[in-house]
Amino acid sequence: MNNTSQFHPDETMLLEFSAGTLATAPSICVSAHLHFCSKCRNQLLRLDQVGAQLMSEAKPLELEDDAFDAVMANLDNPEQAPAKSDVKVSRFPFSVDKLMKNNLVSQTWKRLSGSVDVARFETGQDEFEVALHKICAGGKTPKHDHQGLEYTVVLKGSFSDENAVYREGDFLIREPGDVHQPMGAQNGECICLSALSAPIKLTNPLGFLMKPWLRINPM
Amino acid sequence: MSLVTSLPTNQAIPRTNGDRVAVFKSAEKRSDQWSQLLISVGENRDRQAFAQLFRHFGPLLKGFAHASRNEGWFPGLGDDLVQEVMIKVWNKAAGYNAEKASATTWIYTVARNCRIDMLRRKSNTQHLPLENEDFWHEPDEETPISLLQQKRSEDKVQSSLAQLPKEQDEILRKVYLEGKSHAEASAELGLPLGTVKSRVRLALQKMQVIVSTESQE
Repeated sequence: MNNTSQFHPDETMLLEFSAGTLATAPSICVSAHLHFCSKCRNQLLRLDQVGAQLMSEAKPLELEDDAFDAVMANLDNPEQAPAKSDVKVSRFPFSVDKLMKNNLVSQTWKRLSGSVDVARFETGQDEFEVALHKICAGGKTPKHDHQGLEYTVVLKGSFSDENAVYREGDFLIREPGDVHQPMGAQNGECICLSALSAPIKLTNPLGFLMKPWLRINPM
Repeated sequence: MSLVTSLPTNQAIPRTNGDRVAVFKSAEKRSDQWSQLLISVGENRDRQAFAQLFRHFGPLLKGFAHASRNEGWFPGLGDDLVQEVMIKVWNKAAGYNAEKASATTWIYTVARNCRIDMLRRKSNTQHLPLENEDFWHEPDEETPISLLQQKRSEDKVQSSLAQLPKEQDEILRKVYLEGKSHAEASAELGLPLGTVKSRVRLALQKMQVIVSTESQE
């Protein structure tokens, strides 16, 4: 899609993604960023070339005698190349779309605060809580800090914090100890994908009210 | 547009040729042997071409499977991977876009995804709603980078990989072939994570895989 992302995963993270060694939750976030960022897609293509070159230098191992026949016996019903016009252009990244369908997201939005809704995803892992957050136009989220790592990708609209404005495709990492207070843009709702490795601790006076809804709750 | 009809058949050259740029006359065509064979499988269901791909890539795929040091590794992984990847190659060849990647790169991505999914299925009892392939549905786009640029970067990767200092080469192999994360590599090598990452960055700079330093977190 567009090429306007300002915040990207760093190259070592893309390399782990290319090698397939990045954990599931951050991989979902990287794949969501790639949907929007052609610069990182190009970078990834070059990283895949490194992997391909290393694979082609792997020590070749002799195959079982019947390996070829076994494969040939299964060569049926090849897929047709999808016609370009048939490829549905989704607004959301493929992996997120699939998770949304899997989790019936439209029915699982929960109110987190006056201006934030959350829908949690079941992703088959429990290191991170993966969720969508929807901030209403101009909505303020509670000021909070992070005890764990949080990856965020803006999927729709934009939000801002003390440091910058984050737009569609932007990829952010919050380290433990970072304190911030995101605010939705005035001109429309903002939807973000996030992967959070530990509960966030609220720092405003009303924090104790919010905490139960913010606790990490992998399903 | 049919690519195969526009390719001169006598120009098939092995990828081991170190100086392919000179043979590569037009930015519009991808002329390496394996990519031509893969195009022919996709367009003509060419079993002969497929057999040639199988003979070349089959043993490499088995080697790639055996290089894995992941949780879930099992002795039959190599043969299973060859089967699964080669059947996917046949089934998906029609969707192969030679303008986007060489056959070797394309088959690597299929193999990487298959290997991860096979290992995860073995080592994980949880229901996994996503397969690794799901992370790789990139939007189709007009020539992301020109074929000539791609050829240059492939050649650069190929020639400079062999010249990397051992300490950088070692980490790349751990990550790509053994399937280790940077954190696992750092624990195994007894190096701080920051050192592992800076070696990775140095290697990527030498191979000119990193083209800009704008990325931020």
